[in-house]
Amino acid sequence: MRTEDLIDSLTQDVKPVARHGIGLRLAGGIAIGGVGSVALVAAMLGVRPDLGFALQSSTLWMKWSYTISLALLAFAATARLARPDSGRLGWLWLLATPVVALASYGAIELASTPRAEWKAMWLGESWTSCPWNVLSLSAPIFGGLLWAFRRFAPTRLRAAGAAAGLASGAFAAMIYCIHCPEASAVFVLTWYSLGILLATAIGALLGPRLLRW
Amino acid sequence: MIGGLEGSAADHSALLRSLAPLLRGYYRRRTRGSEDDIEDLVQETIIAVHTRRGTYDRERPFTAWLFAIARYKMVDHFRRTRRLVPLDDLAEWPSEDSFADAADARMDIEQLLGLLPGKQAAAIRSTRIEGSSVAEAAAGAGLGESDIKVSVHRGLKALVARVQRDRP
Repeated sequence: MRTEDLIDSLTQDVKPVARHGIGLRLAGGIAIGGVGSVALVAAMLGVRPDLGFALQSSTLWMKWSYTISLALLAFAATARLARPDSGRLGWLWLLATPVVALASYGAIELASTPRAEWKAMWLGESWTSCPWNVLSLSAPIFGGLLWAFRRFAPTRLRAAGAAAGLASGAFAAMIYCIHCPEASAVFVLTWYSLGILLATAIGALLGPRLLRW
Repeated sequence: MIGGLEGSAADHSALLRSLAPLLRGYYRRRTRGSEDDIEDLVQETIIAVHTRRGTYDRERPFTAWLFAIARYKMVDHFRRTRRLVPLDDLAEWPSEDSFADAADARMDIEQLLGLLPGKQAAAIRSTRIEGSSVAEAAAGAGLGESDIKVSVHRGLKALVARVQRDRP
């Protein structure tokens, strides 16, 4: 095919492009996946019965501040890496902020608890399933992000995959809060973060395969 | 590009058309592939520019975006054809930035020349950009030598005035 003809056929129908197209599309992908994850929680795990009460307690909001701030940073990184000229990503060190904040909160919590209860606090009731639940819930969101990426032009595929994995893991952890009754900061810091890290690692592994264009 | 993003088919088509020679030059300098390979790459890149134009941020330089895509397509092409590029040659490659700057400059010049009457633009293009002599340009355009000289002079003067007016 001659290049001229190709250009003619491409420009038959030129639709306007929204100004913040990347952000809107990413948000759409996450929303679709998020609905899937919420449905998964409702069907498989069950929403915690005391959710209404928990909404008034500080622990749920502690968990949400952590997961939502991670999720928003990961969202920004993903939007950056969706472009071919992704530029510098030095500001990703900001991701350490929520982690450090939660760790300090956890340290205060530990200090006010007798040493004998530390282990129970750290492992909670569900440490064996928590990371895996977060990881499973991240799958629908990661799928939504893959859909969004079909119109993007990432050039650093591994980094883009990792950012998408991190975003899906963090949003999944946020949704997991509506099921998980654990209340200690050290629990969240360890097991939630482990699930998010697993999702990030899988994203980095899959990025070069799935995000090629 | 902006016109194309807002849905103007004419602007978009003009942009893609102007990219084809630019990309041909870019790939020819870097791949040492056959003309068919180069044309394939050019077409793939143009398709990507078209389908993924939503990833262009209007506040950032266009050429950086374009050549990031072009570079990705080239790396992808090498990966698919599994050809190795000897590393020694890498240093001799013109850098990404210099090519982008040159492309920027070329697009600016084309834009400015577009503002002039056709005769003046053609005269400037042949004598100042393509490097023909006044006699050759005159023969090529079927005009007198003095006509060419006057056109170049008037055209350049108009451009200087124009550029100075644009400058804050």
